[in-house]
Amino acid sequence: MIMSVLIYAHHDGEKFPKPVLELASYAYALARQTGGTVIAIVTGNPRESDLEKLGQHGVSKIWVTPEPAGPSFDNRAYAALVASAAEACGASFVLFADNAISRAVAPRMAVRLKAGYVSGVAGLPLHTDPFTVKRSVFTGKASAYAEILTPVKVLILARNTWQTIENPVTCLIEKFTPAVSLPAPDFEVVKVMEQTGTIRLQDAEVVVSGGRGMKSADNWKVLEDLAGALGAALACSRPVADEGWRPHQEHVGQTGKVIAPNLYIACGISGAIQHIGGISSSRVIVAINKDPEAPIFQFARYAIIGDLFQVLPALTQAVKKLKSE
Amino acid sequence: MDGQLIFAGLLVATLIVFSLTVRKYVFRFSLTGPHRIRHWSKRLGLMLRIALGQSRIFRRPVIGFFHALTFWGFCIITLGSVEMVADGLLGTERSFAGLGFLYNLITGLGDVFALLVLISIGVFLLRRIALNVKRFHGIEMKKKSHIDAVVALVMIFLLMVTLLGFNTSYLLSDPQPIAGTYPVSAILASLITQGDPGQADFVMHLSWWSHIILIFIFANLLPYSKHFHVFMSIPNVLLSRLEPLGKAENMTSVMNEVESMLYPEQSGAAGPPPERFGLLDAGDISWKGYLDALTCTECGRCTDVCPANRTGKLLSPRKLLIDLRARMKEMSKGKMKNGRNFQDGKTYLGDYISAEEIWACTLCNACARECPVNINQPSLILDMRRYLVMEKAAAPAPLNMMFSNIENNGAPWQYGSHDRLNWVTGLDIPVPVMANLAAQGKKPEYLLWIGCAGAFDDRYQKVARAMIKILHHLGVDYAVLGTEETCNGDPARRAGNEMLFHMQALALIETFRHYDIRKIITLCPHCFNTFLNEYPDLGFSSEVVHYSTFLETHVASGKLKSSAGLFKNDTIVFHDPCYLGRANGVYQAPRILLSTVNSVRTEMERSKSFSFCCGAGGSQYFKEAEKGSTEVFIERTGEAVASGATVIASSCPFCLTMLTDGVKYLNKEGEIRNLDVAEILAMEAGL
Amino acid sequence: MKILVCISVVPDTTTHIRFTDKMDALDTNGIQWIINPWDELALTRALEIREHPGSGVTQISVIHIGMKDTEPVIQKALAVGADSAYRVNHAPADSLEAASQIAEVVRKEPFDLVITGHDSADYNGSAVGEMLAELLGWASFSSISSLSVVDSVITLERESDIRSETIIAKAPCVVTIQKGIAKDPRIPSLRGIMTARSKQLTLVEPVKCAPLTHFVRFENPAPRSQCRMVDPSHVEELVNLLRNEANVL
Repeated sequence: MIMSVLIYAHHDGEKFPKPVLELASYAYALARQTGGTVIAIVTGNPRESDLEKLGQHGVSKIWVTPEPAGPSFDNRAYAALVASAAEACGASFVLFADNAISRAVAPRMAVRLKAGYVSGVAGLPLHTDPFTVKRSVFTGKASAYAEILTPVKVLILARNTWQTIENPVTCLIEKFTPAVSLPAPDFEVVKVMEQTGTIRLQDAEVVVSGGRGMKSADNWKVLEDLAGALGAALACSRPVADEGWRPHQEHVGQTGKVIAPNLYIACGISGAIQHIGGISSSRVIVAINKDPEAPIFQFARYAIIGDLFQVLPALTQAVKKLKSE
Repeated sequence: MDGQLIFAGLLVATLIVFSLTVRKYVFRFSLTGPHRIRHWSKRLGLMLRIALGQSRIFRRPVIGFFHALTFWGFCIITLGSVEMVADGLLGTERSFAGLGFLYNLITGLGDVFALLVLISIGVFLLRRIALNVKRFHGIEMKKKSHIDAVVALVMIFLLMVTLLGFNTSYLLSDPQPIAGTYPVSAILASLITQGDPGQADFVMHLSWWSHIILIFIFANLLPYSKHFHVFMSIPNVLLSRLEPLGKAENMTSVMNEVESMLYPEQSGAAGPPPERFGLLDAGDISWKGYLDALTCTECGRCTDVCPANRTGKLLSPRKLLIDLRARMKEMSKGKMKNGRNFQDGKTYLGDYISAEEIWACTLCNACARECPVNINQPSLILDMRRYLVMEKAAAPAPLNMMFSNIENNGAPWQYGSHDRLNWVTGLDIPVPVMANLAAQGKKPEYLLWIGCAGAFDDRYQKVARAMIKILHHLGVDYAVLGTEETCNGDPARRAGNEMLFHMQALALIETFRHYDIRKIITLCPHCFNTFLNEYPDLGFSSEVVHYSTFLETHVASGKLKSSAGLFKNDTIVFHDPCYLGRANGVYQAPRILLSTVNSVRTEMERSKSFSFCCGAGGSQYFKEAEKGSTEVFIERTGEAVASGATVIASSCPFCLTMLTDGVKYLNKEGEIRNLDVAEILAMEAGL
Repeated sequence: MKILVCISVVPDTTTHIRFTDKMDALDTNGIQWIINPWDELALTRALEIREHPGSGVTQISVIHIGMKDTEPVIQKALAVGADSAYRVNHAPADSLEAASQIAEVVRKEPFDLVITGHDSADYNGSAVGEMLAELLGWASFSSISSLSVVDSVITLERESDIRSETIIAKAPCVVTIQKGIAKDPRIPSLRGIMTARSKQLTLVEPVKCAPLTHFVRFENPAPRSQCRMVDPSHVEELVNLLRNEANVL
């Protein structure tokens, strides 16, 4: 039987977010490695153009299924749903992107399938027999090789581990009906607050962040300009939020938000360990600071030692120039 | 005869009323805990200096002078009052005249002081009424405090008037012979031309009776007034704390508890744990603590110098004492009426003193240093912190985090012990490490204690390196503990966490004993204070010096030359770290070191024992500041700026951080540098 | 209502993580062990809930799957205010083993609410809570940033990418908490430590259970590559590097 790689492709209401496309690309590579194909299970009613995106990234079959009934997302029901899909396609691998929904569904589903489960997966398996895959442990301080002993394997792919790669294949879109009746959710939703506003920090691929080196709240325009040019979200360090220069929602760090954008530009941020804890999963960190001894340089991939108020406008100009080319 | 009976009656009545007061106070003292008094000879010296010599009072020289006159006057005049009581009972007049020369001395001085006190009281009353003296006001100064003050001043005024009246009219009554000398009254008598000796005799008796009745009334009012200090101040000073201000009282109950946790096999009969750790209510203090509360004169000098209070925080050291006295009064009322076990549902900490007040304290000891009757306010604050932490774990969250850090990774910040030698990078001199030397069978003379700031604080690592260069240059035989160093528990103790302090200290002492450490040089004054004053209570004594004292001897010998001339165009001001200066009396050593550097020197307006804290102490550094109008570090930095300095020198990692932040805040970064004394010396010696 | 908080025992966050010579296990020499920070917050929240009168909470217990040397850390949970503790005498190889052992205990005791942390600071599995719920057949809620119990009614706030929902859940259920559940973790007072000695710590023998995954080898991270400095007067160089070398623009 063909070994299937089933991916859980969640749709955020507007599109399949980047982590899902990364997951599809990874799944495609894994399928190639193990001699299989990629199937995606999608809930809801996404646009055909969005579904085609999955096909462009190596997904050969998409099963679309209605959202399970209930007042809201129910971990039990979704787990049963995805388990049913995995059994239906005889999946050897069930893959998830690293997000809240995956953590809600994957573990329950793994128990249902009696499948070995590894999260934080950092790359393709070292070998498939025994199946060994690398993951980070001790919150990034070390790596471990985990062996899965079961025929069916559940993996959660770590963020920023796999690039999105287009591998267009013919994509078949089918309706899927779970073989089992899904458990009925037994809770009440009494209030819902939608998140509104500008680019959400959590989802942003590029983040521009300001620290105490910005000197005052009045100086934020240069950061806003750069963020505008880059299409980036704004963030800040803790002292900036505490001083009230920026809203608390922008605070990134161990006691604020933990984010993992592609590009994180830290302006006037010294790089205290608590701040680093919130951004260490970023793909690329750029530091701009006038203090050559600032700890942030130990974590940054690129850096400029200079006056923020000269560098930032120049950087904005350069970005605008690049984008117009 | 009638006079004697009336007098005896008045005296008995006075004594009866007084005894009722005494009974109340005996009951109140019975609710307090024990306190041991030792070192009597040292105490006499303290009493002579502070009480009789009025040394603290003179810290405000002008108004202090007037108070000193009043106090000395009171001492002399009291002797005269004894004669009055004898006269009243025996029906005599001036019965002590037989003392001859001594009598002339007492009466003469008494007469002169009567005028001096009269003038002083006049000054005090005018000042109170006409001037707006800031420290007379405050949330703890209720209307009755002001009335109390004015009534007492008026009474003393009248006492002096009646005394002078008595002496003057005595002279005018033409006694044969004149007993005693009355220089002032003689002048007054010469100014009175009307009246005859008979009338003078009448006025004399009137004055006498007025004076003694006023004394009887005053004596019974005093225990209910802030002027109780008239009775209490000398004993309070005699019985006061002798230890250096930086030393925190050891809690043996906690020490025993921690010992039994760490060494369960060794635990002997530790005894039952106390019903309560720390101070919650008035019954939790010792009799000496209550004596402090009764002695407080409400002068407000403590609150006036308190850095927290000056920057708008709720804390007022005076309020701690006034409220303690008030709470004991309230609490004892209920218990006197309903039995000792009666609980009225209120507590000193909670209903009188808020947590916010005690968490604002920097434990700088300015209040204790200022108090004219040697009350130790910080120990009240520390004991309340101990209650909150050890009974309730209710320290502010950042302090709880600091406690966790110390407990889990041995430093108040998130750094591990394996990183404790990272600061040596950049040095081309080898740094001797104790463990390595021990493995080679060597034992250095000194342990150089780097401390957590020297190990982990980017800025202070530079000072640690400067120190190494100096010690190497001087050829000192020393070593560091390196990765075996851990927090010695000081920040935990200042925040009230006795348990964690003992855990750290007992473990560290084992390391010290393992290497047979005898002499320690520290970079940080807090470490210095803890090792010097507090570790002996836990069984470990050593010769501990702060690096400034250590280098003083070497600089005197000329081995460390300041010749680079790097500061010749600078004006250097020294900021006294609280735990070097006020807490342990080391003011000169850093100044002597700086005097070897070619530069202009200046002092801040508040320096040495008057020094204003940088704001980091009392674990403030590790938490967010309490609500106030400004910050302590900003005020102190402003003072440094106003001194005209271009370099602020200090010798403490926390002072260095706070003042550097202050310079940044005031946007003076291009104009003023912050340097540690060790750095200055290393730079000047070309190291 | 009876609450069970699952706690993991992990190395203190500043520890240098090292492995044994064969690189197949953590080198535990000199490690200071602490309660997993997420679990500390979960326990703190449970204690806060109980402190409100009328919560209906009658018992807060903690459970840990680990060997005897973890008992001092479990004592801390008791010192902070938990009423009783269970220790299952086993070192689990993966999240499923841990969840299975917890499930055994929960089946025997009538707990109404089980709380777990987002993940544990050692192996970062982020699975035990949900696996436990599936083994028990219970409802589960994850990404919970707020939890309250009033009169035994469980109210949660769940946060997703695009919305936050207030949910009333029925007991019994498993709740996996995340950021926001409690502000500052409780620490034990000396009085608490002294009281903890008289609280119940039940030793439970593990049931037989085979792990479906295990770690075969560990690795220390490769040393961080040097930071590439860009001249501030040539910022366009940075832009070029970000586009062409790093592929992030």
